[in-house]
Amino acid sequence: MIVVNYLAAVALLCIGLYAVLTRRNMIKMVMGLSLMEASTYLFMLSLAYRAGSTAPVLLSPPPGKSVSDLVHGNVADPVLQNFCLTAVVIGVAVTAVFLSVVVRIAQHYRTLDTDQVREMRG
Amino acid sequence: MTGAALASLLPLPVAIPLAGGVTAPLLARFSRTLPVITSLAALAGSAAILLAEAPKVFSGRVIAHYMGHWSPVHGQVLGIAFAADPFGLLFALTVAIIGAVLLLYTLSELGGLGRRELGGYACLFQLLLGALIGGALTADIIDLFVWFEVAALASYGLTGFFLERPIALEAAFKILVLTTLASFAIFIGAGLLYAKTGALNYAQLHDSLGRHLSTPETVALGLLIAGFATKAGLVPFHGWLADAHTAAPGPVSALFSGLMVSFGVVAISRVAFQVYGPGAAPVLGLIMVLGLISALLGALMALAQDDLKRLLAYDTVSQVGIMAIGLAAGNAAGVAGAAYHLVNHALFKSLLFLCVGAIVHRTGSTKLSEMGGLARHMPVVAAAFVLGTLSIAGIPPFNGYVSLSLIHQGLQHDHEVIPYLLTLAAQVITIAALGRAAWLAFFRRRTDEYEWQEKLRPGMLAGFASLGACCVAFGVAGSLVLRTLMAPAASGLLNPGRYAAGVLSGAARLPALRIPFDYFSPAELISVAASVVVAAVLAWGYLRIREPRVIRGLRAIHTGSANDYAAYAIAGTLAAIAVLSLG
Repeated sequence: MIVVNYLAAVALLCIGLYAVLTRRNMIKMVMGLSLMEASTYLFMLSLAYRAGSTAPVLLSPPPGKSVSDLVHGNVADPVLQNFCLTAVVIGVAVTAVFLSVVVRIAQHYRTLDTDQVREMRG
Repeated sequence: MTGAALASLLPLPVAIPLAGGVTAPLLARFSRTLPVITSLAALAGSAAILLAEAPKVFSGRVIAHYMGHWSPVHGQVLGIAFAADPFGLLFALTVAIIGAVLLLYTLSELGGLGRRELGGYACLFQLLLGALIGGALTADIIDLFVWFEVAALASYGLTGFFLERPIALEAAFKILVLTTLASFAIFIGAGLLYAKTGALNYAQLHDSLGRHLSTPETVALGLLIAGFATKAGLVPFHGWLADAHTAAPGPVSALFSGLMVSFGVVAISRVAFQVYGPGAAPVLGLIMVLGLISALLGALMALAQDDLKRLLAYDTVSQVGIMAIGLAAGNAAGVAGAAYHLVNHALFKSLLFLCVGAIVHRTGSTKLSEMGGLARHMPVVAAAFVLGTLSIAGIPPFNGYVSLSLIHQGLQHDHEVIPYLLTLAAQVITIAALGRAAWLAFFRRRTDEYEWQEKLRPGMLAGFASLGACCVAFGVAGSLVLRTLMAPAASGLLNPGRYAAGVLSGAARLPALRIPFDYFSPAELISVAASVVVAAVLAWGYLRIREPRVIRGLRAIHTGSANDYAAYAIAGTLAAIAVLSLG
């Protein structure tokens, strides 16, 4: 467990959340969500961390490690790293859709202020 | 067919619509309507395979398939599993069949769109349906997250489909913000669970999670429930729902409301019953509270709407709340009632949204204040709308009666008096809201003439006829449906141990549940009659008074700002985690 990583992840999450909740500029909200997303990756990779472990590439042991180290599971958890890869791919797609919607909103409404773009309410 | 053959067919119902979705834009180059027609064929193929699985699954077997044949070794799962249990298969079948009906309707209503539009539409529609079927069949929590994301991406595209309409863009932005937040919650929740237990498969998770949860496990539960509640549109995670339904074309609203929203309910029941088990934490209490608030708030907001689509959307919030209440009752009748209501809601809400689609198609308006006297001009649509209203109202012999009676029975069984009374109150308000809408749109006198735009086409009529017939059939054959479909579905949820054994080894059989149901129970009939009378008075009164304070307050909460809706969702998530940790 690496405390610094967790603290950094929480800090990033809070900064992102702050932007989403308080900024009315849509681009800034998207940036906030991207920050939150980055914090989830950092969090997942920190969960995958094992003290003194190697990268989960099991072709040949890295310098200073023997095959038995790998067999005994002293590698970072590859499954959580895999989740991150999946989520990164999804995240890119979502951000692309997000920004294209924001661009169209800017073209139609001539503003990016969420307070001006709320025809539907109540 | 043998069990192994059936199991190896399981990925196909998902693979076919996904493949159809990818090829749809290409097919649009050859002919305008070809993509929609092939997607109809794809959905029919999916439904046929699911139907082939049905006899075995509904007799109490769990059919499991491990992708790439990475079967479990000593209870340790490495592969991703697809497992057809009665509950999941029920939802998958509903999605495939109603999805096909909606595509048929689309062919009629939106058949005049251009090549690129129809190609893109067929693509997104199939992606969404494929993702919902995948989410229903999967037995792996990260796979569930992936299907959630695929469904979400397709739903963003469909919400903002008519890019030239500004409100569609506004709705797309809100659904993007809230669903993205939900996806973070689910992602972290699943990751925490894996880090704590080393398992991803529902069955293995169920075996690893004890009755006493550690803090990360409790937090993960809260995050998963909050995330999927956003998809389900439960209050306070519902900010996106009404807007997305208002902005989308008729069949898309039907798809969102009837099918996509229910995916959230399916996922919540998986997490609450089959992964954690209802005894592990006060999770059922949490779902009950979310359900009650949603049922009441959704119904009140529906009563106050002028836009017919928005009214139906808020009613969706209310109906999802009713499903959550049934699940939270936690006994056989309640859970079977919730499963029944899930199917019923898909039927009657799709029907109602298609009616609104037809009204928009002919008159170009969704505002109740601009309608009136439509029954004379559009008798078929009026009949379909009234049928849908009667079904939601829970009037025998229509389908809503059976599911609502079962949920009431589930609540009474455990003497949950206050939830029962609140459910009845929500039901009364719902009847009043829909009755008011039917009156204003169809039966009120109106003197000035409409500007007619388009005629009804055969595919639209086929949509009304098939959904309406199902509404009646599921009501009349209530006891049969309950015995053959809903009781096995409830059994799978209430016996997570057997489900787990079925997923891991395929050998277990779900015990048959016997749920007594008296179609002509006097108490239930009297409560229905009383609800209708009170609702009629309420609707009549509501048309004559100024907007009451409560409703003005509720309207004021729904500010329409993405920031506020995100704040509600975050507050709800924190509250859910707090309740689960402290309770």
